[in-house]
Amino acid sequence: MATTNLPRGSRIDLEHVSKRYRVGSGEVTALDDVSLQVDDAAFVVILGASGSGKTTLLNIIGALDTCTEGTARVDGAVVTGASARRRAAFRRHSVSFIFQTFNLFPGLTAFENVRFGADASRRSHPDDAASAAIERVGLGDRRDHFPHQLSGGEQQRVAIARALATGNPILLADEPTGELDFRTGVQILAALEEQARNGMTVLVVTHNREISRIADRVIELSSGRIVSDGPPRGGRASIGDLQW
Amino acid sequence: MSDRTARTIWWRWAWRDLHHHAAQIVSIGLVVAIGTGLFAGLSSTGTWRRLSNDASFAALHIHDLRVALQLGTFAPDGALLDAARSIAHADQLDTVAERLVIDSQVDASSDSDTVLVGARIVGASGLASGAGAAPVDTLWVADGSRPAAGSDDALLEVKFARYYGLPVDGSLTVAGGAAVRYRGLAVAPDDFSIVAQEGSVLAEADLATLYLDLPAAQRLTGRTGVVNDLVVTLRPGADATTIGAELVAAVDALGMVSPTVTTRDQTEVYRMLYDDIDTDQQMWNILSVLVLGAAALAAVNLISRAAEAQRREIGIGMALGLPRWKLGVRPALIGLEVGLVGVLAGIGIGLGVGALMRGLLESLLPLPVYLTPFQYGVYARGTLFGLLPPVLASVVPVWRAVRVEPAEAIRTGHLAPDHGRLGAWTARLRLPGSSMAQMPVRNVLRRPRRALLTALGVGAAITALVAVLGMLDSFTATIDQGVKEVTKGDPDRVTVTLAGLTSRADPNLAAIADSAVVGAVDTGLRVPATVTTPGATGEPIDLLLEVIAFRDALWTPTTAPVTTAAATSGLVIARKAADDLGVGVGDTVVLRHPRLLDGRYSMAETTMVVSAIHPDPIRSLAYLDSQFATRFGMDQLANIAQVVPAEGFDRSDLQRALFGLQGVSSAQPVARLGEVFDDVLDRFTGFLVLTAGAVLALGVLIGLNTTRIGVEERRREHATMLAFGVPVWRVVAGVVVEAAIVGIGATVVGLGAGYLTLRWVLDALAQRTLPDIGVVLSMGGLTVSLAAAVGIAALTLSPLLLWPRIARMDISDTLRLME
Repeated sequence: MATTNLPRGSRIDLEHVSKRYRVGSGEVTALDDVSLQVDDAAFVVILGASGSGKTTLLNIIGALDTCTEGTARVDGAVVTGASARRRAAFRRHSVSFIFQTFNLFPGLTAFENVRFGADASRRSHPDDAASAAIERVGLGDRRDHFPHQLSGGEQQRVAIARALATGNPILLADEPTGELDFRTGVQILAALEEQARNGMTVLVVTHNREISRIADRVIELSSGRIVSDGPPRGGRASIGDLQW
Repeated sequence: MSDRTARTIWWRWAWRDLHHHAAQIVSIGLVVAIGTGLFAGLSSTGTWRRLSNDASFAALHIHDLRVALQLGTFAPDGALLDAARSIAHADQLDTVAERLVIDSQVDASSDSDTVLVGARIVGASGLASGAGAAPVDTLWVADGSRPAAGSDDALLEVKFARYYGLPVDGSLTVAGGAAVRYRGLAVAPDDFSIVAQEGSVLAEADLATLYLDLPAAQRLTGRTGVVNDLVVTLRPGADATTIGAELVAAVDALGMVSPTVTTRDQTEVYRMLYDDIDTDQQMWNILSVLVLGAAALAAVNLISRAAEAQRREIGIGMALGLPRWKLGVRPALIGLEVGLVGVLAGIGIGLGVGALMRGLLESLLPLPVYLTPFQYGVYARGTLFGLLPPVLASVVPVWRAVRVEPAEAIRTGHLAPDHGRLGAWTARLRLPGSSMAQMPVRNVLRRPRRALLTALGVGAAITALVAVLGMLDSFTATIDQGVKEVTKGDPDRVTVTLAGLTSRADPNLAAIADSAVVGAVDTGLRVPATVTTPGATGEPIDLLLEVIAFRDALWTPTTAPVTTAAATSGLVIARKAADDLGVGVGDTVVLRHPRLLDGRYSMAETTMVVSAIHPDPIRSLAYLDSQFATRFGMDQLANIAQVVPAEGFDRSDLQRALFGLQGVSSAQPVARLGEVFDDVLDRFTGFLVLTAGAVLALGVLIGLNTTRIGVEERRREHATMLAFGVPVWRVVAGVVVEAAIVGIGATVVGLGAGYLTLRWVLDALAQRTLPDIGVVLSMGGLTVSLAAAVGIAALTLSPLLLWPRIARMDISDTLRLME
């Protein structure tokens, strides 16, 4: 297996973050006075039903969105309120994303998709970083396949490899198993958990309570507010204990 | 839900589609509109020209036959009329009129402008006011009034006057110094399009025609009591060929040199005005079909992509059990709306193009009658061509969607079908550069059909552009080649046409040589002749044969690689003549030429060797060494002189000095022919700008639409890139590169197809329209640059307009979309 320098995690601080949208003549509160801290090298699950504000929270941490009130800091640097260019630079060097629908580039092969992560974050040896990342997710033999030639699980592993190839310390995953069957979903979760064990800060957004059982910490949202924050109820389970 | 309610919902939905896609529908509609508009506008002109020609020739009673005596020979007043009345089929002659037609020069200079050009003085009856209009070749007075009966006043040819901005009522001076007052501007059917003495067409800048009453013309030219031209109209059913032969025989019997007989159909202007309609129309058709084809391809590509976006909705409809035809209604409505926008705007563009073309035609050929009715048939075809491609384009994706199972049509995400076979084959292709650098190439390879359709659409537009501009380049290159040939040595050289065949010892020639502004003079012979190959049965090629003393002439044709000495051994002909005859240097040809024997002219045939081929593109120009003048019986005679100005003088000085000399019919700079052609081309610039502008707009619109749809289709990819912190400019750069790849393809296709079209146009159409010119195929730098501008720049730069849309993208929303 190829090796590469593993990224170190980062500390995330949110203070009184609120996010409100205008919808028609009314206003919707997606996040309401949310404050939290996430230490590095943690596997955190943000749990909530549809419309609870979990994706909005992830977007604000990942600088894909701005908040209406409050402050978000990553390693002490204020993310909220920064210009679009600074937020892009933050995303380039600090976070990487995994999406429910994978969002691979259909025109690029698996390896080229992974290399994109390394190119985007401007790593000095992108080929090496991409090779190492694709080997880490066990897809070295599928590197020349296009996304449509891969199964859903393989596509999501390519997406994970792409995120790893960035070398960025924070990995944000939005419903990463939402499109996958149980067995494949478990494989993906195992891969994500492994990254946390390797020192990354991994935040997984899900509505699936079962997934939260393997987290170090579960932040549950409802109607834009944190309703619980702590270790999984009933203690942390291993991957093999999951079922849904 | 009642049927009525269902229909209402359906129509509301379609209306919302229209509202949602309004910008796109209008934008693609404009692409169709340019295609249909240009097609309808240009295609209308053929019928307009035919109708206008018919009406104008009929209004002015153009002759059916014209009998012209050989240059320098005349018949007494009435002799030609008597000869005509003596022929066997005299009863089939309707009207007969004698004319005096004399080539001369005119000085129409003003304080600010020197106008010294060739002139044609035409004397005919029926010119004066109050007299009955001439029953044959009637004049149309475009402006001013006819001269009073018995006066020596004239009418001036309208196109010449307008070209130089001369007043409606004015005066000018003809060679010999006589001042002529003209009272108005007019045109005879012979002169609807001006053919100059050298044979150049659309030559109003170079030829002033003065129409006078016959006696006035005789007095002005010093040819009292003589005529040299007969025009005849025939009764219906008369055989023009037979009567023409009878007229030649009758004139021969008068002791004249065999006259030239031309039927109406052989008349240069008649041939030009009618034959050119078909050839011009063919060219318009090619151009408009190319533009329409470009628009149709673009519409098919763009609409099918827009309709493809409804694939999932179609799948849902199928799942809900809706009849398949109903599923096609909404996409088909989008196609229909595009078609309707295209057709309606196309009618407007067509009317605009038609108005511009009418203006152009009227300025080139001011006819007494212009008929430009709305061409329902042409517009109906344009409407059909405008409607069909968009509707068909919307049907294809629907058909593709409904032929699969509903589940497949609905499917999204990683399970959605992807048919990029070429992309799959190229998976192991290693491309240089980063993943972002590779992405545009990979995207093109993933959807090759789409890229190809776009390239073909823009390529077809470029083809039209290259064909149009290439024609201009080719004509310019042809003119340049001719000018380079005739102006070598001394560009100020002037060719003097003498009043007739003159002894080389004539004092008038001595007077030319003695002029202070003349540096050197060289007399020669220029006679009409024909050439063919031995035993050939086809039409011989007309020649303007010049007899030159090759060894010491002021100017000789370029004969390389044959030496000048070797060229004196035979006939030197143009490359075009050699190609048309299928001969080369050393081959034998048969020259038919005039011969003067015992004071009488006759035609003789001489077999000669082609000794060299000269590069002048004018087919008729041929040269013989002066040693052959004895074959013509004219070895001591001259009818032209080549003159170069003395040190310190230029060609204008020379023209002025020669203008007043006895025995000089005209004095034209050899470079003038090129200038005349340049003027003609300048006047076509309007049409070229129109076509080039339309094609440019088409290219830009196709580029914009392609890019906009491409950006819409790739929005998730762009959002992903932005989510990974890729700067907006880098995302846009990827779109630009992808567009540039397609643009380069389009440019290569357009240049290649444009070259082939140009070659075909020049080979097929110019051969028929301009048989006397060896047109040099050329594609200039500007043409290639403009093609690249349409193909590459329009496609490449259009993504920049979409920069704000990408920059303002809601990344998280876009990434969460299920499509």
